[in-house]
Amino acid sequence: MSIRITIAQVRIDQSPAVLKAYGLGSCVAVALYDPEARIGGLGHLLLPNRPERNALGSESKYVDAGILEIVDKLVQAGAIKDRLVAKVAGGANMFETSYQTLITSIGARNARSARATLASLGIPILGEEVGGNRGRTVEFDLATGNMMVYCAHDDVQVST
Amino acid sequence: MPFRELNSVQLDTLKEISNIGMGHAATALSQMIGRRVNLTVPNVTITEISKVPEHLGGAEKMMVGITLQILGDARGSIMLLFPQESAHRLLCSLLGPQEKGLVMTEVSVSALKEVGNILASAYLSALGNLLNKTLIPSVPLLAYDMAGAVVDHVLIDLSQAGDFAMMVETDFGGEPDQDLSIKGHFFLLPDPVTLNVFLSDVGGSV
Repeated sequence: MSIRITIAQVRIDQSPAVLKAYGLGSCVAVALYDPEARIGGLGHLLLPNRPERNALGSESKYVDAGILEIVDKLVQAGAIKDRLVAKVAGGANMFETSYQTLITSIGARNARSARATLASLGIPILGEEVGGNRGRTVEFDLATGNMMVYCAHDDVQVST
Repeated sequence: MPFRELNSVQLDTLKEISNIGMGHAATALSQMIGRRVNLTVPNVTITEISKVPEHLGGAEKMMVGITLQILGDARGSIMLLFPQESAHRLLCSLLGPQEKGLVMTEVSVSALKEVGNILASAYLSALGNLLNKTLIPSVPLLAYDMAGAVVDHVLIDLSQAGDFAMMVETDFGGEPDQDLSIKGHFFLLPDPVTLNVFLSDVGGSV
């Protein structure tokens, strides 16, 4: 059973579901997994940090708030926080450019925010496939905790 | 003003602004490739950011995206998207017969960026004349990848102001023959402040 996670969405499920996020550019996909309970969650997140004031719209578009949301949902569903492990993909810079603007470096900032948020929660990152200038599609298999990353151009398959 | 709150008069205003701008852009493209270019009436839609890749035919569809920032009296960005078959046909018109399939070389990237530049400049000068504003396109940037990955760049920009995106969509129908037609999508993505400027200048404000 495969479930599609759209932009600014987080979702948790249990084995044997497969969570998929298609066409990540500077967005990041953060996968969290409890290997013993075999439940996990995936977020397709697009902005690095939730502003302290005047946050507009959904919480789950922010990397930091989205990760907290997945952790909360997993704990409610019976996961143990200390067992959680993470995998991160995405955070590319799609438009090659010789000058760095705020927007072109947003992928790197998303990846940094994911690492910082996970570190502050004490959740180890087991695998990463971030940066560069290529789009990615990820498949997170909740039966095994494996995350496959597919790229459009060179058919790179990275298993993390 | 969040896009969601636009009324139908304001949407019509934006549609008309885009119609005029796209008319100029189509003329420029037609002169450049030496072929007739028809364009269909732009579709102005307000949609959830998460649904934008669906409107483009799926997040994994391969697309060439060319993006430019709008500088000058108003801010925002422009995104031009060509499905890979259309980008290939466009290159054949510009550079002569090409290898089968779309191959991104230095020359083809440069040619496609130039198309983006011409279209965006024509569009912005028409828009600028109408609004009596100076609108300048930045240097074009290009990406050839999955649609979702190409557009999330602009969605990030928009998402800082809310969960909705405004898409001004235009199809360049080249020839009646489907196998030869060049299709593209044109997105005008004004930032919310700029949107107010556009609307108040053409009398569409609330």
